[in-house]
Amino acid sequence: MKDRLAQSLKQSRADYTEIGVERTWSSAVAFRGRRLETATVSEDQGGFVRVLNTGCGWGIASFTSLDELPNMVTRANELSRAVRLDEPIRLAAAAAHTGDAVLDLDGDVRGVALADKKKLLDRYNGAMLAVSDKIVDTQSSYRDEVSEVWYVNSEGASLYQLRPEVVVSGTAIGRRNGTIEKGLESIGLRKGWNSVQDFESQFRVVAQRAIDLLDAPRVRGGAYPVILDNELAGVFIHEAFGHLSEADFVYENPQAREMMTLGRRFGKPVLNVGDNGAAKGLRGTLPYDDEGTPTQDTALIKEGILVGRLHSRETAAKLGERPTGNARAISFRHPPIVRMTNTYIAPGKQGVRFNDLISDIKLGVYACGAFGGQTMLENFSFTAGWGYMIRDGKVAELVKDVVLAGNLFQTLDRIDHIAGDFTWNQMGGGCGKGGQFPLPVTEGAPHVRIEEALIGGDV
Amino acid sequence: MIDRLLDNARGKVDGADALWRREEQTSVAFESGRLKAAGISEEAGLNLRVLANGRMGVAGTTAAKPDAKELVARARASAELGESIDLAFPNPSPQSLSPIPTFFDRTANASLAELIRMGRLLVERLAQPGCQVNISVQREVADTAVGNTAGARGEYRTTGIGVTADVTRIAGDDVLMVYDQYVGADLPTNADLEALVRSVETRLTAALTVVTPPEGALPVVFTPAGLAAVILPLEQALSGKTVLQGSSPLAGKVGETLFDARLSIIDDPLTPGRPASRPVDDECVPSRSTALVERGTVGRFVYDLETAARAKTQSTGNGRRGVFGKPHIGYTNILFRMAGSAAAPISDLGGGLIGDIADGLIVDDLIGVGQGNVISGAFSHPVGLAYRVQRGEITGRVKDAAVAGNAYDLLKRIGEFGRDGRWLGARWSPSLLLEGVSVARR
Repeated sequence: MKDRLAQSLKQSRADYTEIGVERTWSSAVAFRGRRLETATVSEDQGGFVRVLNTGCGWGIASFTSLDELPNMVTRANELSRAVRLDEPIRLAAAAAHTGDAVLDLDGDVRGVALADKKKLLDRYNGAMLAVSDKIVDTQSSYRDEVSEVWYVNSEGASLYQLRPEVVVSGTAIGRRNGTIEKGLESIGLRKGWNSVQDFESQFRVVAQRAIDLLDAPRVRGGAYPVILDNELAGVFIHEAFGHLSEADFVYENPQAREMMTLGRRFGKPVLNVGDNGAAKGLRGTLPYDDEGTPTQDTALIKEGILVGRLHSRETAAKLGERPTGNARAISFRHPPIVRMTNTYIAPGKQGVRFNDLISDIKLGVYACGAFGGQTMLENFSFTAGWGYMIRDGKVAELVKDVVLAGNLFQTLDRIDHIAGDFTWNQMGGGCGKGGQFPLPVTEGAPHVRIEEALIGGDV
Repeated sequence: MIDRLLDNARGKVDGADALWRREEQTSVAFESGRLKAAGISEEAGLNLRVLANGRMGVAGTTAAKPDAKELVARARASAELGESIDLAFPNPSPQSLSPIPTFFDRTANASLAELIRMGRLLVERLAQPGCQVNISVQREVADTAVGNTAGARGEYRTTGIGVTADVTRIAGDDVLMVYDQYVGADLPTNADLEALVRSVETRLTAALTVVTPPEGALPVVFTPAGLAAVILPLEQALSGKTVLQGSSPLAGKVGETLFDARLSIIDDPLTPGRPASRPVDDECVPSRSTALVERGTVGRFVYDLETAARAKTQSTGNGRRGVFGKPHIGYTNILFRMAGSAAAPISDLGGGLIGDIADGLIVDDLIGVGQGNVISGAFSHPVGLAYRVQRGEITGRVKDAAVAGNAYDLLKRIGEFGRDGRWLGARWSPSLLLEGVSVARR
């Protein structure tokens, strides 16, 4: 394959050319309630060409028929030449890497019978249904894939990457008359079959939570001191800050650059944030990004101060910084754009525990789990799976519909305590941006305290 | 392609249906007012479903030269694990397919230069100091063929074009993002593009002043874009799938009046000029419109073949399938219809509904829609773009506020329907004035 791509590269008349080819083997099993929805094996494949000419823009082509590759190189070049630019697009210098990067398959999913995958999911799905007859519906899914990705560019890069992924998730719907609640468990790993064998108890827990929420009141709206559990704190930092640190948001916008000037204070000294695409064994981990740049651990906030951002080669060149290995595409169907990998809030002092965070809170909310989050940069949402009121320094009653409204400049700066109990939260799903969803990412955080945050609801 | 595949399946399985689709997209992207990239994408795929020994299986491929035998074998292997289902493939007469225009030569033939011209026009019209303007123009031409072993065949071509305008204005630490789009099967006219410009400008101008949000149970105008959070629970609950699963709050409520008596909602695959329109669904069922809610009364749920078979009813022609996976229920075009609204249309922000509001909001965008416990009807979201209304006038944009409510409670009594009905993607609706929406602030 590499030879075939090298051949096409040679034929390109563009100043810069990159070619990617992807072949993905995947299988999927899904249950809805007691019924099996599907059990399928699929193979998907296609190619991607991107070229650049001096004084011109990007020319891009994606296609499923690999026979078309030479033709697509020509067409991408024509498209590039149709886009005239006064200020040329430059790419930051990058070493041309060659070689094979094969991630640990940890039990190659291609060698496991579909019937065994069905059996595994049936067990997890059954565990949720067995919790109560009030669990009226479930949605369970198992999905695995092994992706082979070839990448070459006209600067000499030539890479082959083997990327496994496995995701198991389940939603339990509890119902009593008109009241409907849900619990959600989701495990996503850049690993294989061996790593998803032992999650039955987690699935039971979420089904029980859906039942418990049937009796829980909605949280009252207003501003509270809020403790985020590890999972929600991870989603929080992804939405609150991760997206703003993606340099494609600032590189063409002078006002945004000013707002995000390196050296600006965004938080108290307790806050340290980074993105680490090279962390071992996580879902957002990749040896190389989709421009052939090695991934790395990039510090974004150090002791409350903005110190870095995430780059593609284009954004790095424009801002006079270095590529960070964050140019990613969800598949050959899309061009790489600046994305997160494994984003984290670093742990606070060792020994600082959850109890230390709540002991002086008279009335607050302990927000747990994550149904999701979304950002509009200054303002963002992060939706908890459930929550508890905190009363007089103690965790009190369960509450539901806990959705937090964040503001970049106010919420980050109000993080005043960070526990030492850091964990990576390896969820399924993924991140969406520019029509590319779901991109595998991981978030990691300890328990985090926000002095005051807005929660929606009746007031 | 379809014929060869179905011929291959005959004799090996009890029945089969298949979809073949080829899509070609051409797109241009303007970033910060500059044309930065032009791209094409070509994709073709084949999806097969079989019934073997009463069980259902599926397989799909994007291979350039699909191996029919291999695909049938893979679908049969999938069926061995599948559930049993009593599913009959339809065989409608070709006359029963409504001839609707889904393909527009002007769209299919538009040159790259024409797409660039449209983008450039928007960039020039929207440019203003301190604002970053991103525009994308994307044109799609697709061929679809569906067929089954009962003898049904359907073929059609579609065109679609999407033009999006994103304006970001950063002033100090204030970030304002305004977005709008044109989506159609036919090319936008200059008047359509001008309407897009006006829509973005109106909402941008009204947002320049930031005011304190109100607090309490208030009247809120949800614009067609802002309505997403209120409509999403209904879309989930009206799906025959959630009804079958027992998780729809509307199950067993057909014929009951649960919403404002002026409100009707239909799913209509036959609206001319819309990209989601089609003569036949992805399972060979002829398209027709379905009254989901009729004058406040729960009408019909939407079904595909499988859920219809399980519910012992007919498919409503809402079968949708991709290259991979099995067919599932999908809406086509969702249209709001209001009884007794004859007033002349306007494009004012708020749809003419704010005159009587003493203190309240116009909500145009909420953050995190779809991420809560949607099916319950409850929603709670920070505002993305919202305006305060005081004594019948827009006084400015509000930030750091959150709105919450329950779609079922709020739609029981609609304050008023706006006169600003419009398409937004595959949904047509006006603004709605809803009373008693919870607004929280910091």
